[in-house]
Parts: sequence; structure tokens; C-alpha cells
Amino acid sequence: MTVREQYTPGPASGAQVRKDGEKWTLILVRELRHSPEKVWQAIIDPAHLREWAPFEADRSLGTIGTTAKLTTVGAPTPHVTETTVTRAEAPKLLEYKWGGFDMRWELEAFGGGTRLTLWTNIGHRFIAMGAAGWHICFDVLDHLLSGTPIGRIVGPEAMKFGWQRLNAEYAKQFGVESPSWPPQAARKE
Amino acid sequence: MKIKVTSVYVDEQTKALRFYTEVLGLAKKTDFSQGPYRWLTVASPEEPDGIELQLALNNNPAAKAYQQAMFEQGQPAIMFYTDDVKGDYERIKARGAEFTMPPTDVTGSTITMLNDTCGNLIQLTQLVRYSR
Repeated sequence: MTVREQYTPGPASGAQVRKDGEKWTLILVRELRHSPEKVWQAIIDPAHLREWAPFEADRSLGTIGTTAKLTTVGAPTPHVTETTVTRAEAPKLLEYKWGGFDMRWELEAFGGGTRLTLWTNIGHRFIAMGAAGWHICFDVLDHLLSGTPIGRIVGPEAMKFGWQRLNAEYAKQFGVESPSWPPQAARKE
Repeated sequence: MKIKVTSVYVDEQTKALRFYTEVLGLAKKTDFSQGPYRWLTVASPEEPDGIELQLALNNNPAAKAYQQAMFEQGQPAIMFYTDDVKGDYERIKARGAEFTMPPTDVTGSTITMLNDTCGNLIQLTQLVRYSR
């Protein structure tokens, strides 16, 4: 079996939700055994992003003012949005928008490694789904940084790797009801 | 191969879902998101496994220009068939919809048109039943 086939995500952890009226923010924290400089490359460089992130960037996101196109990978119809990097302080802080979402990445040196925190606002109906997706992405990122890449696991691929279980676990942790999966037939609401 | 999904662009998906279900009377079919992408469809409760209408977020400048021009020309973005256009007109109007054309007889059908509040005109059509 390959490393990818053996991969199973651990239990839901490291995520919290901040509610500010209608605006909900998902906060994900992951401790990585790699330097902030190395993690920084992985979150700004298109070749690195392609190995783990749920979107592709057509250029580096490492410079403030850069305008880049982000393509959502595996969306049911092509989905490309344009973004401008609003903060880029290597190797500590990166901010831009992904579609309607604010994306704020913070890298903090921590015991020889990096504590990576992502703040992103997601519609509350989908916040557990988002946490589940990012959980898997961060596992894949960890493999990539450790020199044992297992290849991006996003969109339909995530379904094969325990995404549904994580979705249910995060929904329980956050106290929200996540839409059932697979989608149900039409119903009157 | 079947015709299974068609789409309209909408300026805001949550608002569109409310209009297409609560005002127009369709039912939500599929709703999931992937990052900022949201796949949202509705279907007719009379035909739950029939054709789905995707309510697609219009964040595309080219599509926006087209949508706006069609709206200004009075062209509907989507057409629904009904067996009771006058009844639907009254029901939907009572729920607060703004009609731009009352039920009107045209060749082969009676049509009415309303504003979906999301950037589109939509048409309801009742075919005339000819007796032989």
C-alpha cells in the first residue's frame, strides 16, 4: 500500500468557531515540525499549494499588492476568483480573500517548529464541512513538508479519506447541524 | 444523455434561495459548498427528481453585463411551465413578488413575467390547449 492509501485523518481537533452576529469565523490551529520559513513557502508558492491546498494560485501570494487568480479545485463547475494580497509579512502573516472569504494566515515560531493558524469566515451552514476539509489539507501539508508528499486530497477525493466522519465530528464540536451528505432529494422547507 | 440541470445567475445565493422557494414555490434540492464555491439547486416539488435549476453566484463581470442587458431588454433568464398561469400569478403576487407583465395571451400560450430580485426576469408560461 502506498502512503496515500494508508492515510486516515485523526479525530477532529484544533478548530474553533468565533461567532460575530451573522459572520462566523473558523479558526484552525496546526503545529508543524518545520520552520516558519518553510511553512511560509508552502502557503505562498503555487507549486507548493498545488500539492496540498484546495485552490490553485496562478502566481506567488508572497507580496503585498499582488493580484492573483485562485481556482477552486474540484468544484462542480469551473470556479476562478481574483484576489489581491492585502498583507504579506514573511514568514509571519499573510492575508487575502478567497472568493467571499477572508483568509488570514499566522505563523508563529514554536518549539523549533511552527504554530500555523488560519482564520477564515465561512457561512455557518458549511463551517463543519470547511473544518473537515482543512483538517485533511493540513495533514497533507504536514506530509509534504516532511518530504513524504501524498498528493492533494480535496473535493471528491476527500470523500475517500474520512471527510464525512470529520464533518460529523466538527459539527458536534461546534454545536451546529451540518447539511446531510450525500444531498437529499428536493423537499419543501 | 438527459437535460438535467440549467442555471440562472443570481447576485446573492441566500436571497435567491429564499425567493425561489418561499415566493416562487420551488424546493431546495442540493446545497453544498467547497471553499467559497456553493452549489445550490432547486427543483419543482411536482417533479422532485426532474430538472434542477442551479442558482449560480454571479461573480463574473462578463456574465453580469449580459444579465443586466437581458434584464433591461425585458428578456427572461428562465422559463417555467405551469398548468395555471393566472392562479400562479395571484399566488406569487400575494407573496410580494413584482410582476413586470400580467398574464398575457400570446401565440400558443399565456405568459407572465416577474422580477426574481436577484438580477433576472423569469417567465411563467401556460400552453394553450387546442381542441381538435
